[in-house]
Formats: sequence, structure tokens, C-alpha cells
Amino acid sequence: MSILRVDNVFKDFSGIEVLSGITMEIFEGERHAIIGPNGAGKTTLFNIVTGLYKPSRGKIYFLDKDITGRSVHKIARLGLSRSFQIINVFPKMTVYENVRNAIVSKFHHRFNWITLLNQDKEIERESNRVINVFAMEDVRDALAFELSYGRQRHLELALAIARDPLLIMLDEPTAGLNSEETRDAVQLIKEVTGGKTLFMVEHDMDVVFNLADRITVLKDGMILAIGTPNEIRENEEVRKAYLGRR
Amino acid sequence: MSRPQTYRLVWTVAVAALILIYPFLVAEIKVHLAVEVLVYVLFAISFNLLFGYSGILPFGHAALFGIGAYGTALILNHFPKIPLPLTLLLAISFSFIAAALIGFFCVRLKGAYSALLSLAFQMFIYAVALKWRSMTGGDDGIGVTLPDLHLPVLGIVSMKNIYNLYYLTLIIVAIGILACYVFLKTPLGNSVICIREKDMRAAFLGYDVFLTRLAVFSVSGLLAGLAGALFVLFQKFVATSCVGLDMSLTVALMTVIGGSGNFFGPVLGATFYVVFQSWVSSLTKHWWIFMGMLFIVIVLYLEGGLISLFKSEKIRLWVSRLGK
Amino acid sequence: MSFPIEIYVTQAMHGLVYGMLLFLIASGLTLVLGMMGVLNLAHTSFYMLGAYFAYSITIYLGSFWLSLLISPLIVGTLSLLIERFLLRKTYKGGHTAQLLLTFGLLFIFGEFARIIWGTAPLTISAPQVLAGNIPFMGRTYPVYRLFILGFSSLVLLGMALMLARTRLGIIIRASVADAEMVEVLGNNVPRVFLLVFGGGGALAALAGVIAAPFLSVYLNMGIDALLDCFVVIVVGGFGSLFGALIASLMIGQLQSFGVMWIPQLALIFQFLFMAVVLIIRPTGFFGEKE
Repeated sequence: MSILRVDNVFKDFSGIEVLSGITMEIFEGERHAIIGPNGAGKTTLFNIVTGLYKPSRGKIYFLDKDITGRSVHKIARLGLSRSFQIINVFPKMTVYENVRNAIVSKFHHRFNWITLLNQDKEIERESNRVINVFAMEDVRDALAFELSYGRQRHLELALAIARDPLLIMLDEPTAGLNSEETRDAVQLIKEVTGGKTLFMVEHDMDVVFNLADRITVLKDGMILAIGTPNEIRENEEVRKAYLGRR
Repeated sequence: MSRPQTYRLVWTVAVAALILIYPFLVAEIKVHLAVEVLVYVLFAISFNLLFGYSGILPFGHAALFGIGAYGTALILNHFPKIPLPLTLLLAISFSFIAAALIGFFCVRLKGAYSALLSLAFQMFIYAVALKWRSMTGGDDGIGVTLPDLHLPVLGIVSMKNIYNLYYLTLIIVAIGILACYVFLKTPLGNSVICIREKDMRAAFLGYDVFLTRLAVFSVSGLLAGLAGALFVLFQKFVATSCVGLDMSLTVALMTVIGGSGNFFGPVLGATFYVVFQSWVSSLTKHWWIFMGMLFIVIVLYLEGGLISLFKSEKIRLWVSRLGK
Repeated sequence: MSFPIEIYVTQAMHGLVYGMLLFLIASGLTLVLGMMGVLNLAHTSFYMLGAYFAYSITIYLGSFWLSLLISPLIVGTLSLLIERFLLRKTYKGGHTAQLLLTFGLLFIFGEFARIIWGTAPLTISAPQVLAGNIPFMGRTYPVYRLFILGFSSLVLLGMALMLARTRLGIIIRASVADAEMVEVLGNNVPRVFLLVFGGGGALAALAGVIAAPFLSVYLNMGIDALLDCFVVIVVGGFGSLFGALIASLMIGQLQSFGVMWIPQLALIFQFLFMAVVLIIRPTGFFGEKE
């Protein structure tokens, strides 16, 4: 089943074309990575898919539904979730409160003005469950900005998967992590996204070849190749343009 | 119950009792003062709902206060048969709707733009109030005669009696503050706060930033309108000053001086402002200057406002040492 | 009802005069806003103080011309001190702190004026050489208004030259576009900003001086001008001098003809206009995207 379909998407900013003719598809249960040099347009594509930008041309389909131009929150509610390259958690809220924000949304209680949030046992249970999955019980009541960078990355990841989304989009989830932290992160990602559909931007080739089922290579706003890790490794053009510079 | 909790409970009960028997402890003139304090407390709390909790700076908040005030005055004068509770309900409906309309345009904009637009709306309403003399009495305003309140158990309660007015205002303001407090503890209140923290992040989690902000803007407008209505009951008079720049500046001043980061900051700020004004204005016409300077000092050096002084560890230590 | 052509031209002239005056006031505000993102609510207080100082100087030193020199100097210095010792502390805190601070200053200046000069409006008369009328299209036109027009055009020219030709001017324009970059390139942006802030204040005071014989001097003149200025910077775009010029002239005409045609609603239209612009295009018609 097709989870995400990007159909001939173009994007230009004040005359500069950042994405040209992007067509790709992501299937259920797939782990799909998108790689490419800086400025290739990866985050822009993410922003278009999640509704932050409107494509200049082309369409986006989520579960075969046309979501082109829909607002960010509506797309998120359809089951699409994302993490950010630069940590984007709620800094002055505790880890628990951070996760709870996602859970409140998951249970569609955002506009509930009748009950007291603290009394909601279901939300409390679920928030604690997610915290346990990420082994963050010990910092449950710490303020997000006080955490170490590595743990903030965990929280960032937690926010992305807390709502149990159909498509998880991770933007450079291992950015800024050392090799040990990266290994842990990859392990964690494997666990928490097991069976779900994953779409991620990554620079770290080890992570990519470790995690991904299929890879899309982007360069200068255009797709250079799409294929399995082996196919990509063998691909002449890709090696020339990107892997060669490793 | 632990020590600090006992302290807190005793404190709260003492303060509540004091507030309840206050009119019998002081001269009548002080009761008038207390009613004024109550009205501004509610106004400041409504302002802080936007400023402190939603991250919206409504420079033109007096617009909603004024609509509540004018609405009440006009209904009381033109439809005196309507019972007072219904009049108040109507007045706050007007301010709620007005807030929804103004908010619809303001909440989409960022910071200074939103503040300016809110000011623009307020000055528009001010201009209307000024020019439409036949309805609003323009600059001079209109006087209001208060009907008596007909209550089931207590019978006829005259609103001309300042003591009755005190208790009526106290009850309404208490309900308003409680409603606000509880609101912030609901999931919707949480939505408001997390959107203030990081609106983009919240949107990506599925929060409708626009609608949530609109909701809190409208609620704040409703409470401001209620304060305006109570103001008219108190002053028995409404004029363009209720919807003017000075009123907007005043409520912002009160909230910031009291402390916008704390729920009760505005309460302290409004109380301080009214009391200080009544005290210093008898000494000098230019008490404004002190207020303005205090305001600047707080903006620059004491972000948490006056209430943060109560919460600071240093002061706590100092006070407890005094106790020994 | 049809008006003879002279009336239209006269009204247009009135509009032009007020528009140029408004531009003088608003130019400092928009530059400061464009450079550092600071919306100085107390800016038109400088305008008001300029007018009040002009009054005192004219009365006590006997010369209006002297006040043209001294008043901007005093107010300019005041604004330098304010930027250096008060406003600078708020840059880290974000825009709210700045808005609140300038707000408080607005208050204080108003009270200050009230203490020193009282609540009644004050009038000063234009110097003899500028008093009176000259013949214009079959009617007469006040010389003083032409003076305002001429003088502010001169100032405008001077500003334009300074910004276009001098090194300081180039740095200022670059800072409006990208202050961070300019600083990285080695320029002392805080000092430049201090100068712009002080210069803007002095300019506003100058506008106050020349407005004084024209509009008279009263406590709310700052607030009245503030609201007009807001419309100018919103329509003209934050940071755009050209936009501020066009917007000021437009508003001058709107006021002038609005007052003539529908005196009751002129004020209302102005605000509706601003509200509409803010709703449709928050950066005005000429400003940069934030």
C-alpha cells in the first residue's frame, strides 16, 4: 500500500528553483532514506510534504489522499509526524509535559475545556509509557533545556513517534551525536519504528545503510537515483556526485 | 499535611476571611477603593491570559473593556426592565463576539504587528464612541442609574449601596478568576501554553494554532468585557476614557508591574496600582511619574514583576530568619 | 456640490505640507525599526518635546530660529542617552521588553511635559519673515506652510544625500537590510544604531519645532502623531524610507481631503486603512519580508 506519493513536485523561492520534478513513492512498512549533499533540497521536500510550504507545481498524496497545500496541523492529524534537524522540543516544559503535549493531541483532547488535564488517567498512563520506551523515567520531571544534547535528541524522537503515526519523518535524527550515541540512536529508532513506515533524511552513511530498505539520492533539487542500498552503492553517478566525497 | 502546606492553607483562609469581612473593618471610602481594585484585578487577569499565557500583546485590550462597559450602560439606560444578571450576560456576549472578530485578524500576526492591529481596532472603536454622540454621549459620556437586584432568597438588593456592590463585584470577580484559573488547567489551557512556547512544534503535533489562539483571545475579551460591565456598575457612568489609550496602557502597566509570569501577578499589580494611586495622588498630582519609573525598572531589572519578590528564595530566607 | 479647482489644489497643498511633516517624524521611527527591529513607541514623544522646547526657547531667548537649532540638540541628546542606557538593555530580552520599555517612556515623557508646561495648549507665532500669506492661484496661501514644505524638502534632500553618498549612509542602509552581516564585516553597528536613534529623535524634534507655530503645542500631539506614524510605517513597510515617504504623502492627502469631504469619518478611515493593510500585507507595500 502506498503511504506517501510525491508527484512531480517543483519548488522555487523567489526565482531560484530548489526542487525540480521530484517523483517518488514510499510504501507501507518501508524504511526510506533520502540523502544528498547540503542544499540538495532534502529539508525543503520534508517541509513541503508536512505542509509548511506549498509546492510551486505538483502534488503530494498521503494514503492516496491529496494533501497538497493542506495546513500543517491537518496533515499531522492524518497520521504524519516529523522530527527536526535542530532540536525543537518545548524547552521550559518538563520531559513529561513535552510528551504529554503529543499525547493530548493523539487523543484529540486539544480543545477540551471541560476536564482537568492532571486528572486524566489515560493521558498520564500513555505519557508514562512513552517515557519508559525511551528510558527517560529518571529525567521525567527535568526541564527539557536542562537535558544533555543526546537526551534532547531522544525527546525529539519521542515527540515524533508519541502519536503513533502512520508515517514517521525524521530529519537528521543523529545530527550532532558521537559514534556511540549514534549507534544507540539507530538501535532505538529500529525499535520504536518497528513495523511502521519511516522516511528519513540522513548524512551519516553508516546509519543509512544500516537502517534503510530503499534510498533516494537528491542533488541540486533533482532525484539522481532511487534504489536499495546495494543498488545505490553500485550506482556510478551517485558515487561520482556524492559517495566519492566521503 | 506538611508544614508549608499548612502554612499555605492558613494563609489562604486568612486572606479569604479578610476579604469577606473587609467592608466592616474600614471606612466607607475604602470600600469604594476595594471595588475599584476588584474591577481592575479582573481586567488585568484577562490581559495576562493573553500576554503572560498566550504570548499575545494586546495593546488595544481596552476595546473589549469598553464594549462591555458601553454595552452595559446602554442596556441599563434603554432597557431598564431587563434584570441585571441578564444585562451583564448580554454585555459580555458583545465583548466576546467583538473579541472573536478582532482576534480573527490579530492572532494570525506576529508580535508587534498583532499589537498594532489590536491598537488600530481599539482606536477605531474609540473614534466611533467619540463621534456617535447620540448613542454614547461622546467625550462627556453617559450616566447610568442602576436598577435593584432581585434575588430569590435575599429579596431586593439595592445597588446604590456600596456594600452590596462590593459583595456583588467580589462574587463575580472571584468567579471570573476561578474560571480563568481552571481554564488554564484544562487540556485547552495546556494547548494555549504549549503554543506559546513553540507554535511551530505544536502545529506539527496537530495543534490548530489559529483556532486555539482565537479561542483564548475570545475568552480574554469576555473577561475584559465583564470587568468593563462591573466598572459601569461601580462608576455609574461610562465615557470614551473606558475605551481609550490610557485604559490600555493602564492595564498593561498593572500586569507588568505585578508580574506577568505568575497567575496572581496581575492581582498584585492591580491592587498596588489602585492603592498607590489613591495614596500618592493626595500628595502630588504627578504620581504617574513614579508609576512609570517603577514600570521601567521592572521591565529592565525585575522581569518577574513585584510578585517575584515574594517568591524569591532570598526574601523567603530573610522572612524566616525574622521569625526566629 | 462642486468645488472650484483652487480648493482642490489648496487642500492638496495642505495634504502635502502635513505629509512632509509626517515623513520627517516617521523617518526616524522606520529606520530604527528596520535596523534593529525596535518599535519605539516613545518616538513621537521626541516630536512633542521638540515642540515644547521650541516654545520655551522662543519665549525665553526670543528667537524661533534658535529653537530650530537648540531643541533638536537637546532632544537628540536625550534620545542618545535613552538608547545607550535603557533601550540597549532590552535587546536580549526580545521585542516584548522593548515595546514595554518604550511604552513606559511614553508615559513618563507625557507626565514630564505636563509638570513643566501644564495642560493647556500653547501657541507660538511664526517669525515675522514667515508670517502672512502670499498670492496663490487667485487666493492666498500661508507663507509658513510653504516654509514647512521647503524646509522639510531640504531636510529630505540632505538625508537622501547622506544615505546615498556618505560611508555612514551606506552602513545604515546595509544595516537595515542585514545588521548582523554588517557587524560581521567589522563595522560598529551598535554605535551606528546609537547615531541613528539619536538622529531620528533629533529629526522628530525638528519636526516638532516647525510644527509648533502651525499646529500649536499640546500634550496629546505625540499620541496623535504616533497613530499617524504607525499607519505610515505599516503601509510603507518597516525600514523603508521611500515607503515611508510615499505613505506619509498619501496619508497627508487622505487626512486633508477626508477632513474636507467627510469630517466625521476621517479618523475612522485612517484606522480602517491601517487595519486593512495589516491584514492583507503585514510588511506594507515596500518593506522587506521579516
